[in-house]
Amino acid sequence: MQRQLFDHFGLPVMGLILILILAGCTPEAEKPLEEVSYRLKWLYNISVVGDLYALDSGLFKKQGLAVNVKPGGPEKDAIKELELGHAQFGVASADQVIRAVSKGSPIVVIAQLFQTNPLHWIYRPDKIPLKTPQDLKGKTIGITHGGNDETIMRALLAKYGIQENEVTLFSVRYDYTPFYQGKVDLWPLYRNAQAPIIGAKLIKAGERFDLMDPSKMGIRFVANSVVTTRKMLEDRRETVQRFIKALLEGWREALDPANTEKAIALLLKYNKETPEDIVRQQLPATRILMMPSAKFRFGAIDVAAWQQTEEIMLAQKLIPVSVYVEKLLKPMNNK
Amino acid sequence: MLHRRIYQFLMIYFIGFAGLMLVKYSLNLSDYVIPGFSEIGMACRRYFWLYLLAVLNTLAVAILGHLLSICMATLVGIIGRLTIWIGSFIRVAAYNIQAYPIVAVAPIIFILLGDGLSSRLLIAAMICYFPLLLSIIGILSEPVAEIEHFFESTRRMNWQLQVKIRAFENMHKLMTVIVGSATLAMVGTIVAEFIAANAGIGYSIRIALYQSDLAKILVALFLIGICTSIYLVFLEWLGMEIKKRIGSV
Repeated sequence: MQRQLFDHFGLPVMGLILILILAGCTPEAEKPLEEVSYRLKWLYNISVVGDLYALDSGLFKKQGLAVNVKPGGPEKDAIKELELGHAQFGVASADQVIRAVSKGSPIVVIAQLFQTNPLHWIYRPDKIPLKTPQDLKGKTIGITHGGNDETIMRALLAKYGIQENEVTLFSVRYDYTPFYQGKVDLWPLYRNAQAPIIGAKLIKAGERFDLMDPSKMGIRFVANSVVTTRKMLEDRRETVQRFIKALLEGWREALDPANTEKAIALLLKYNKETPEDIVRQQLPATRILMMPSAKFRFGAIDVAAWQQTEEIMLAQKLIPVSVYVEKLLKPMNNK
Repeated sequence: MLHRRIYQFLMIYFIGFAGLMLVKYSLNLSDYVIPGFSEIGMACRRYFWLYLLAVLNTLAVAILGHLLSICMATLVGIIGRLTIWIGSFIRVAAYNIQAYPIVAVAPIIFILLGDGLSSRLLIAAMICYFPLLLSIIGILSEPVAEIEHFFESTRRMNWQLQVKIRAFENMHKLMTVIVGSATLAMVGTIVAEFIAANAGIGYSIRIALYQSDLAKILVALFLIGICTSIYLVFLEWLGMEIKKRIGSV
């Protein structure tokens, strides 16, 4: 009788239990991924290699996220897209963040990518030996009116008591001809992205070059950081944590010297216009700006530098009143 | 005519402005995305005169570029109408050159000419020149059979007379093309200033964009619209005067 009962019910029940156990063992990756969009600050170049690494290596996917990594550009503003709901995460410079918050934008900073602002000034040390900031007097300095470099240079001049009439500020664009011709002594560029290209040209022409780093002169103006909305952080905190975990892991791996070849190959896959030898120079330059030391906790937010950035903007009347920048900083890199 | 143009522009501008405000307040967007009334008012108070001077600067370059284009297009158009081969060659060349995006050509111009007046002028002329040229070639190549036949049969026809007949008979079309290309000249100048110049409203817009300041851009757009409308009205008036004078001769 018992044998009959087992034959009738036992086998199907056991089969059902087995199916349920197997269903429970389904890999997590097969669960539907949560879709989010991430707007970069610029086009695919060395400054986004870690973002691409996280995407291409499946780090986002491992965190249950389907991330739409969208390239940025001159007219793309991640903060506006966050507010409009076109993206959930984005990259913005500190001045953009501070300006936006001063106008009521509900955004927060969850990680800082560049620990040193990549904006430097290239110059010819043979022609203008820059030993102290006072050596800037009498020089023709390139700035982009309205750009970050103008703010940084004005802050630098103010810090060292150099009057504007003691230097010549030259309005620059993408054309480096005035610098090549020697009409301009110092030209602003991004140390990791443009310096290898422009430097190579100068070396080819038999000239030496050096870079002026404002942070070494006490101007620590923060560059790119990862931002999201306050609402996103409050309502979907766990998603934010998973996103930032994958992103920072992507950056750490991309900047790890052991993964150099993989990172270069990946960038060349997305950016076919930059020659490989240039990318090989750009990667270590990016590493220096983002990972000051091997043990540095990637993505850490430099509160003092943010406060200085705000002070500079206040002094130059780029914002009307303080936004108390420290309140916007919500580091997620240690979670 | 002037007040009608201005009135029409104001209507379009404020419909667009109302649309922006509707989006801003319905989506509860911050002043960073779309500025509010107070911010726009403040930008207007601070930058109105500065931007007005910048727009006038741009307009002056646009008018110069426009004049240059009209003269060149007329000259080339007259040559282009002479034979079928030359006309067709110029037309094809104009289509091809017109197809190049100015943002790709502009850097070459700026490297060669620097970022001063000449580059702005050349780009403004380039943007409005080709549409003008194509229209002028088209107009001057089209015979006005009923009039030209008389002069041809009396053997009094020469090229100057032929150009005059065709231009006069198509004066309305010519004026429409000239007025239409005036806006292109303005756009061309603004694009040139945006890309590389150090003056003009295009340059100011670029700085405002760097600062994500839409309030300033709205002020700039308002002034561009008003000044362009005035210029267009002036051209239309000029066209009517020319037509009247030619008619009375």
